[in-house]
Amino acid sequence: MLLPLLLAIELGEGDAELIRRLQRRDPRAMAELYDRYGRLVYALTLRIVRDSGIAEDLVQETFLRVWNRVRSFEAEKGSLGPWLLAVARNRAIDYLRSAGGRMRHALELDETDHPALFTDLEAQILNSDRMRRVKNALEKLSASQRAVIEFAYFEGMSQTEIAERMGQPLGTVKTWARSALKILRDEFGVVVPA
Amino acid sequence: MNCDELRDHYELYAMGLAEEPESGEIRAHLERDCPTCVPAMRRARELMALLGATAPPAQPPARLRRRILAAVTDEPARRWSWTPVWVAVAAAAVIAAFFFNARERRAEAELARVEGESSAQTRELARLNEALAILNQPDARQVVFGAGAPLPPRGRVFLDPKRGVLLLASNLPQAPAGQAYEMWVIPKKGNPAPAGLFQSAADGTALHVLSGPVDVTATGAIAVTLEPAAGVPQPTSKPLIVAAL
Repeated sequence: MLLPLLLAIELGEGDAELIRRLQRRDPRAMAELYDRYGRLVYALTLRIVRDSGIAEDLVQETFLRVWNRVRSFEAEKGSLGPWLLAVARNRAIDYLRSAGGRMRHALELDETDHPALFTDLEAQILNSDRMRRVKNALEKLSASQRAVIEFAYFEGMSQTEIAERMGQPLGTVKTWARSALKILRDEFGVVVPA
Repeated sequence: MNCDELRDHYELYAMGLAEEPESGEIRAHLERDCPTCVPAMRRARELMALLGATAPPAQPPARLRRRILAAVTDEPARRWSWTPVWVAVAAAAVIAAFFFNARERRAEAELARVEGESSAQTRELARLNEALAILNQPDARQVVFGAGAPLPPRGRVFLDPKRGVLLLASNLPQAPAGQAYEMWVIPKKGNPAPAGLFQSAADGTALHVLSGPVDVTATGAIAVTLEPAAGVPQPTSKPLIVAAL
């Protein structure tokens, strides 16, 4: 699944140029943006909402949101893929919550689509070594750890909701979440500053 | 909190799982462009992007591309025009309408829930007040039932001529689906009079009040039967509780 994203980065022009064209409101830039990331954004959205019609609406909303907010993006350091994915995840989880009557801010997602925090990402992460590590890291998780990550990431559930769903004490779920994220972080080779 | 104390929370924050106070602390560090937390958060975002990319592959329909491009192609790429402004305003209106509509629906659902809770609590409070009022009457007549019975239910009935009848029971199993307990005031002469439907709690206890004046001297017994949930005008089953006065 990472391959399209990787190919998009390697074969296409750099994100910086694409961002500048989006900022100039060039519709062809929007077509390129969609061709690079549309499948990835759609796959993530569909995985979350599990309804192709709703996923289409949310993907459209995601791309239009980026189109309307791209002016605040720093073109020189820009990295659109992870930003798009974060916006897409937010839209989809917001939909799940509103459709399910869940609290909108059960999770703190308010800043996850802040463009400035997504600068300079792809060049660091999207190479074949990282791709291999994704699979390795997920395979190292226990079934419980993986379930917590899946519930949190793809279902947008809070730790309390996960504890209820899994019938486990909240403390146990918190431990699984932290240990799982630590394994993922270590495997990805993401260095947390001392 | 210093950055070192936040180091285990960046991924939780990026995923939306961070809790207070860490969440607020991270936000504050990011807002002031903390040289430690901003790069750490970018790395946490990398992780989230990679997790998102593990979703099963799916091919969007071709119309989706057309829809998205149609939404932006009316907008010419040139130096200045009112069109982008109107498109932005329209898009903002659509997003705002979507957001406020969703928010309104959530607010309505929440309001309905709170109103439902509040009204249920008000009813429960009124019921307890009625029960206490009966208990507080000096001339309330008290009858014990089920004492020493091998198979309870057991409990007490209080009758006050002005305020009504209070039934307190225990060991009363929950009624099967579609059924309810019905209380009866059985006069010394004549047919039983229906005195309200009730359910027992999960722990087998029940509290039921019949409000209003009751002719205690003419009453021979208070009884309870298991009946269809809508209630019946006359008992159709053998009483589970009989409190003879």
